[in-house]
Amino acid sequence: MSASVSSTYRNVGKGLPRRDGEEKVRGLAAYADDIPVPDGWYGAIVRSPVSRGRLKKLHFDPAFDWNRVCVVTPEDIPGENVVDMVGRDMPFLAYDWIQFKGEPLALVAAPTRALAREAAAHIKPEIEEAPSILTLREVVDQFHRDPKELHQMVAQTISKGSLEQGFAEADIVVEGEYWSGHQEQLYIEPQGMVAFPEADGGVFIQGSLQCPYYVAPELIVTLNLPLEKIRVKQTAVGGGFGGKEDFPTLIAGYCALLAMKCQKPVKIIFDRNQDILYTTKRHPSWIRHRTGLKRDGSITAMKVDFILDGGAYTTLSPVVLYRGILHSTLGYKCPNVFVDGHCYRTNTFPNGAFRGFGAPQAIWALESHIEVCAHKLGMAPEEFRLKNALRLGDSTATGQIIAEAMGTPAVLENTLAHSNFVEKQKRNSRGNPAHDVWYGVGVSFFAHGAGFTGDGESRLKAKAAIDLELLDDGEPGINIRISSTEMGQGTFTIMPQIAADGLSVAMERVRCPQPDTKYVPDSGPTVASRTTMIVGSTVFDAARKLKAQLESYASATFFGNAPTELTNGTFKNSYTSDTLPFARVAKQLIEEKGPQRVYHQFQLPASLKWDQKTFKGDSYPSYSWGCNVAEVEVNPLTLEIKVTRITSTWDIGRVINPVLAKGQIEGGLTQALGYAVMEKMGIKNGVFDANRMQTYVVPTAMDVPEMDIHFVEYPYTHTALGAKGVGEVAMDGLAPCIANAVEAATGVRLTEIPITPEKLLEKLQATASSAI
Amino acid sequence: MKTVIRTWVVNGKKRTLEFPPMRRLLDVIRETMGLKGTKEGCGEGECGACSILLNREPVTSCLIAAGQVPDGAEIVTIEGLELTPEGQELQRMYVAKGAAQCGFCIPGMLVASYAHVTGDHPDNSDAALREAHAGNICRCTGYAKIIEAVSAAADHLSHDDEDDDS
Repeated sequence: MSASVSSTYRNVGKGLPRRDGEEKVRGLAAYADDIPVPDGWYGAIVRSPVSRGRLKKLHFDPAFDWNRVCVVTPEDIPGENVVDMVGRDMPFLAYDWIQFKGEPLALVAAPTRALAREAAAHIKPEIEEAPSILTLREVVDQFHRDPKELHQMVAQTISKGSLEQGFAEADIVVEGEYWSGHQEQLYIEPQGMVAFPEADGGVFIQGSLQCPYYVAPELIVTLNLPLEKIRVKQTAVGGGFGGKEDFPTLIAGYCALLAMKCQKPVKIIFDRNQDILYTTKRHPSWIRHRTGLKRDGSITAMKVDFILDGGAYTTLSPVVLYRGILHSTLGYKCPNVFVDGHCYRTNTFPNGAFRGFGAPQAIWALESHIEVCAHKLGMAPEEFRLKNALRLGDSTATGQIIAEAMGTPAVLENTLAHSNFVEKQKRNSRGNPAHDVWYGVGVSFFAHGAGFTGDGESRLKAKAAIDLELLDDGEPGINIRISSTEMGQGTFTIMPQIAADGLSVAMERVRCPQPDTKYVPDSGPTVASRTTMIVGSTVFDAARKLKAQLESYASATFFGNAPTELTNGTFKNSYTSDTLPFARVAKQLIEEKGPQRVYHQFQLPASLKWDQKTFKGDSYPSYSWGCNVAEVEVNPLTLEIKVTRITSTWDIGRVINPVLAKGQIEGGLTQALGYAVMEKMGIKNGVFDANRMQTYVVPTAMDVPEMDIHFVEYPYTHTALGAKGVGEVAMDGLAPCIANAVEAATGVRLTEIPITPEKLLEKLQATASSAI
Repeated sequence: MKTVIRTWVVNGKKRTLEFPPMRRLLDVIRETMGLKGTKEGCGEGECGACSILLNREPVTSCLIAAGQVPDGAEIVTIEGLELTPEGQELQRMYVAKGAAQCGFCIPGMLVASYAHVTGDHPDNSDAALREAHAGNICRCTGYAKIIEAVSAAADHLSHDDEDDDS
């Protein structure tokens, strides 16, 4: 199937420059804070000063002139005071129990930002404070004492074979515990939204968001409006990384509630400090592995305890936990597996979506632990991985059979060869005091479930539309109508590449406008590395449908019903070889019958079986694969860690645009570099301690090493296009790779990220003193 | 509120503006002048998104009180870069090499690139280019394509110079 289609590709597979490149380099792209808001007011939020307690009353300072501003308290919410996400435990404005410091209590709008903030400062909550639990450390301590005392948000297990039998068969058992902290998305454009009240009582929301069809339906119950009256349009988005997946519903809700009350457009743009303090982060994790091994290097049992810190409310935590546990043993053969996943509440800002969505935590632990297992067996790390890597016909922890050719173990073999890993390992310093610089090289190998977990895509029913109409130049062309957003990854470039090839017309005749729920069907959210794989394939199939319609029209209207084919913008009568240009036929069709809209809906293969209760079956439609080799240098005096080179190979299925795909890998690896060795965020007095860019340090151009990136293509066979996900897999596996390299350099293993010189010093001192 | 009046040369044109002296230069650029290409990423001079050229030097406009900028000062923002051959070449290479993703850091990043390539005897080694852009945070690209774009632009510009000389 893919072979016949590939002959029609003129744009797919080419590194075409991005469509929105010019407006971005000229400073013309309009982000949330750039769109004109005539007569607009500014919103501000009154927040809880305590981590947990009962709200008794809000005191309004009688000395302040309240006539100049508009205030929204829970009584002003037209519908239910609830954020209608996966869980329904979070109120829009707290009215009884407060669960975290910074929780919104009331909203204020005013003609200037300064006045709105001043008014907010004159609203004082009276709160009866209650005990709180603030950190994952406290959660894990309590988990060891008595987990029943914890507030559990969600739990899920995965079970395969018999652990008892697996451990009985094992020659050795290896245990390890791994910790990871909060990570901030740190998109450079802070969260921003504007809500315009509409004459019909509805509201028009524009802003920086990843998922228009999360924001609109999630606000129905709160605003007490039908979906048609909540219009959501995406502005240019200055980075998302998951940070603009679930959170925008909240800031959109604040703006909408204020706009509906004061009947003015209301805008909220966070400054960086607010953005770091009061938006979602990556879930901190504690993961414990217990693994049974045979002397021959095979794995007989894997037991995993998997705990996430959910923050104060559920948000998307169940889905993050599911993806986390599904990746906690992924990539390796093992007949006996038990994974016990829990997400517990802490009284801190709710954690939410972040590129990788539970997988980076899972793979951080797994690929650290696999390395430890190899060492305990006395096997080389690459040898142990090659022996146990899943291959065609093998089954995962949920019993999913690897039924089509994938990049395992190809990405591993390819990276080992390109990096010259086996030779380079001989240089590992392992803390040798004779070395001026400690050198180490490490490897990691991993997969990322492509698309929604399980049969999620069946329930979602992603739709795409293609409109054949006259474009702004008066000539016929097509507009792609999807809810998938452009946030830097290249949606507005690859979708025209795909549609142009599906239809077989010039790419210049294809547009992909900014999603607006008034015009686009629900293609699902721009998350889970699903946009190219799922929505791209749906756009392709919609374009093929339109092509068939156009061919049949051309045949009947111009070619006396002779078989007709549209190729590269030209219709050809296959009997006479007469031709007509696309524009001529399309124009006549539009004049005769009006603009044409073609829909297509994505369907998973009927063979995909998934049981959401038992977590058995096909946990993902397919998998992307990755392998990193990282080289590090550690200064033996200062213990400064420098990552000097990363070699990597990726199977993301068919590569639609190699320049954009490589950009995703380079960016993902850089975020993962930060996660591994730089980005440190703790909780102090109930809030994030690194609350500014000065204190939350991310990689600069000088921190990023040379990156040697390769692709191996194993197309997803269920779609004609064959793409799998690229966005998240790049974030998944670098942290353990660097930990493995740091151990090779220093001789000590760190089991908590970020890895810092301070932690390295502690570990080296502890190791030295225990050796005496 | 007390205001001051200043006359500057902004993107090659003389502009007279009135504003409170403590207003951030960034706000005068974005709000008073309506030049929305310059972005605010952090408000504390860390991210570089608000970078502009003030008398040919790259500065973070969020850290400058506009009243401090004297009459006659020359300001170049992203909107003014394309009036120069160097700016145009950098923009062209940024697009060609895929240096922009979300694009929010790009106006400031281009200002850093421009300051580097128009400086005296710019060192266009990889290390020097990375250092020249170290004050600008990009969260999308991993910088590889940005450095590649500036390197290509610098290369083209130096060859153009040779052509001019001959």
